Amino acid sequence: MDLGLRGLKAAISGGSRGIGRAIGSLLAEEGCDVSICARGQENIDAAVAEFRARGVRAMGRSLQGRDGDAVRGWIRQTIDEFDGLDILVANLSAGGGTNDERYWYRNFEIDLMSATRAVEEAYPALKKSDNASILIIATMAARETFVAPMAYNSIKAALVTWSKQLAEHYMAKGIRVNCLSPGPTMFPGSNWEMIEVARSRTYASVVRKQPTRRLGEADEIARSAVFLASPAASWCTGSHLLVDGGYTKGVQF
Amino acid sequence: MDISRVKPGEFTKTPIEKTQDPGLGYDLIPKERYTSAAFMAREWDRLWTKIWLWGCASEDIEEEGDYIVTAIGKEEIILVRQADGTARGFFNVCQHRGNRVMVGQGNATSFRCNYHHWEYRLSGEFENIPDAETFPQGAPPCGGLRQVRVEEWNGFVFFTLNPDAEPLLEFLDPLDTHLGPYHFDRMVKVTDWTVEWDCNWKTSVDAFNESYHVQGIHPELLYFIEDKFLQIDTYERHNRYLIPFSTISHRVNETTEIPHLIKHAMKESGMDPADFDGRVGEVRLALQEFKRKNGPEMGLDYSDLNDDQLTDDYHYMIFPNITMNIHADDLMLFRQRPHETDPDKMYFDVQMFRLLKKDEERPRKPRNERWKHGERSLGLVLDQDAANLPGVQRGMHSAAFDGLWLGDQELRIRHFHKVLMDYLGDD
Repeated sequence: MDLGLRGLKAAISGGSRGIGRAIGSLLAEEGCDVSICARGQENIDAAVAEFRARGVRAMGRSLQGRDGDAVRGWIRQTIDEFDGLDILVANLSAGGGTNDERYWYRNFEIDLMSATRAVEEAYPALKKSDNASILIIATMAARETFVAPMAYNSIKAALVTWSKQLAEHYMAKGIRVNCLSPGPTMFPGSNWEMIEVARSRTYASVVRKQPTRRLGEADEIARSAVFLASPAASWCTGSHLLVDGGYTKGVQF
Repeated sequence: MDISRVKPGEFTKTPIEKTQDPGLGYDLIPKERYTSAAFMAREWDRLWTKIWLWGCASEDIEEEGDYIVTAIGKEEIILVRQADGTARGFFNVCQHRGNRVMVGQGNATSFRCNYHHWEYRLSGEFENIPDAETFPQGAPPCGGLRQVRVEEWNGFVFFTLNPDAEPLLEFLDPLDTHLGPYHFDRMVKVTDWTVEWDCNWKTSVDAFNESYHVQGIHPELLYFIEDKFLQIDTYERHNRYLIPFSTISHRVNETTEIPHLIKHAMKESGMDPADFDGRVGEVRLALQEFKRKNGPEMGLDYSDLNDDQLTDDYHYMIFPNITMNIHADDLMLFRQRPHETDPDKMYFDVQMFRLLKKDEERPRKPRNERWKHGERSLGLVLDQDAANLPGVQRGMHSAAFDGLWLGDQELRIRHFHKVLMDYLGDD
């Protein structure tokens, strides 16, 4: 199956590591130009080099996800450099945190607002694209009681709702919008790698609930994500795909 | 990940220079030092009865008449505050029939043996011998309780059974310069535990004198400390290592989320991890800066400490048996004491001290609580250490084990043994 990605231009927020990085690699492998933003310059440099090695154009910008102007600037810069944009993956996240009011602001600004700002800024370019799609990365924890009540889970739930309504709104403009919710995912430097070592009981309780007794890997999330973002998924819009290896038990109608 | 450290020329009162490693070789440390009754007897004769020993915190005997009974091997010592504010120490032995005079801790106006009510003043002299006329030979010529030498330093009371011991500060050298800036006397004691462990006292000393075991039994600390690239310094008797805290080990990958122990350290200092936008590897320096800036307002005087001391563990050993995890805001002091008779047992004392913030109410003074290994938790990290030690001690008795095979990360253990054998002579 040809995903139809060759020659398209993609931007992934938070694409220097983990799931975002895996999505970037796969898009590059499929022939997409890839732009990312993240905090750490070394990781950005390594990711960009890896994407370029696959024979595509790639760029990255170091920024703080709270900084709305920086996020918007990165999208504008990407559109300038690539001369257009077809795919936007809103993947940036602040991660979890409990028992502190400030986490609500943190997840609001980094998870939610970075996505809405990126979408707003990308809209004019996406409207011009023949293969425009937006993919919002949420989390299984938006719909499944998970670890602890926290801002991360609830703010991600807001993204799920927003993505569906955005899909309806943008359909007529030729922009597909989908949402993907990964289950707990393991990769070098993932928070789960830390939790396995530093909070082994929490880790064990999570692994017990996975039918296969392992967490997902970034590539396993990325393959589903790349499909949804690609022209091959032309009839998918407003969909919300749960990619959790069977962690959640509820039936999703 | 590179960890920045205070450099020569930057502000510090505690010396930060790396000492030259003493070149103690790589010989096996004979296991008999941990198992032999004869070796234990030699330790008593040449070590415990010769050197300065940590007795209690000065605050344990704050007011006139406050006393505490501490023990070393077969001896018990009463440490007591005098009317003139000095501390004195006495063997806790009634000169009449040898009974123990006092137990535990408290406040007294005199010490009275409960057997025949022989009574001693706080300064040790006989106060009253009931029916004294029935002792035609008079009172024992020693005049009262037998005294031991006592000196105080930086909020702690030390004693020595050796009348000819050097002055305390000479024994502690160079620790007065190193640890004076922490002002332990400004801290208050919050924990006082004694646990009987099934191992030799040195088995426990060793367990805290290297951080090589962190990747073994404390994996969660890899997300809180740098466990391998430490500065180890050895002095005439004592030694130390300086461990960066509130950072992650080079053995693990940096995460996006701040590990929970680092978050905890930030919150303790009033820094909100939810508002920190840097990376995990940037927390340590940011926390140092935050504490430097906000400490005074919180009533925390860090003015004598260098920046690293605001986050890191300056980990000192006072030879032979005091382990100190020293931080700007708290001190975890462990005292390891030999058992009275059994080389396979010891007493592990945990004494925790904390700097109080402005307007913070002083917690109730803890009284010493005692139990045996496993009966109560000491907290995750110490439980991990404790769980391991009986197995180590048991293995020392195996025909298949000859002694300790130490690497460079265990230099402090080797140095400790060098000093120990300087006191004891050859094996």
